Amino acid sequence: MASTVIGAGITIEGEVTSDEDVVVQGTLRGKLVAKDAVTVEAGATVEADVAAGPVAVAGSVTGNISSNDRVDLQNGAKVIGNVKASRITISDGAQFKGNVDMDV
Amino acid sequence: MANEVSTLIGRSTFVRGRINGSGDLEIAGRVEGDVSCVGEVVVDASGLVAANVSATRIVVRGAVKGDLAAEEAIVIEATARIVGDLRAPRIAIAQGALVRGHVQTGAAGAARPRAAQAQVPAARTSQASVTTRAAAPAPAPSKASTNAAAAAAAKKNGTASPPRGATLAGARPGPPPPVVPVLKKGTKALQKKRH
Repeated sequence: MASTVIGAGITIEGEVTSDEDVVVQGTLRGKLVAKDAVTVEAGATVEADVAAGPVAVAGSVTGNISSNDRVDLQNGAKVIGNVKASRITISDGAQFKGNVDMDV
Repeated sequence: MANEVSTLIGRSTFVRGRINGSGDLEIAGRVEGDVSCVGEVVVDASGLVAANVSATRIVVRGAVKGDLAAEEAIVIEATARIVGDLRAPRIAIAQGALVRGHVQTGAAGAARPRAAQAQVPAARTSQASVTTRAAAPAPAPSKASTNAAAAAAAKKNGTASPPRGATLAGARPGPPPPVVPVLKKGTKALQKKRH
């Protein structure tokens, strides 16, 4: 059970900071900082830089993603921006435009 | 209940910015920035909102600093602390809740213009400036505020004569008018020049 959910009909313009899981089903513009997992569900739109723990994307993300764990771009995801993480998966069917930085 | 909530701002989440859209919103964390939703907004006991909130229905159990406007109702529960104005057709304030601000209920909807509000008969629109506190056993408005409210009511009805309770102290909210007329800048110098 995620602690913070941004519902499908909701738009947040601004900065979201959280120490817990964040699930985005709606729209978020600005900045997203989370200490724990971030899930961008199918149909969701994130126009923001994302810094978090594990990130799973099935929706649309425009902005840089930086994770201290892993980033999963799932089928149907659309990501425009740079991804920085130690582990990255890009599923078949995911759209991605940007740089990958796996700090080794 | 938590599963039904479409949007939840968790306990340790801080949102700085605007939140709008349609759907229910539950705030258990901190929000700074305006909130406008078509749906129910619930501010939990752990919630801290520094923003104007407008929604179809608003339930407050936590702290709010800002104006609340609802199209249907505002429900303020016992643990709520609110500093700001309340406006809704129906407002409930539970005993123990702290409210500081202007409260307006009645048939006048949230989006009703000011001119239309004046035409609404006084019996249907109750209007008062309320300050309640958890410690107070019963909301006992002070004499001054009663007089002010009476004066406001008299003004609204268009009656020229002040009510019995409205003495000098009650009728005059601000400082007395200056005895010496205020001179425009440069007038004194002009007078000196003439002499």
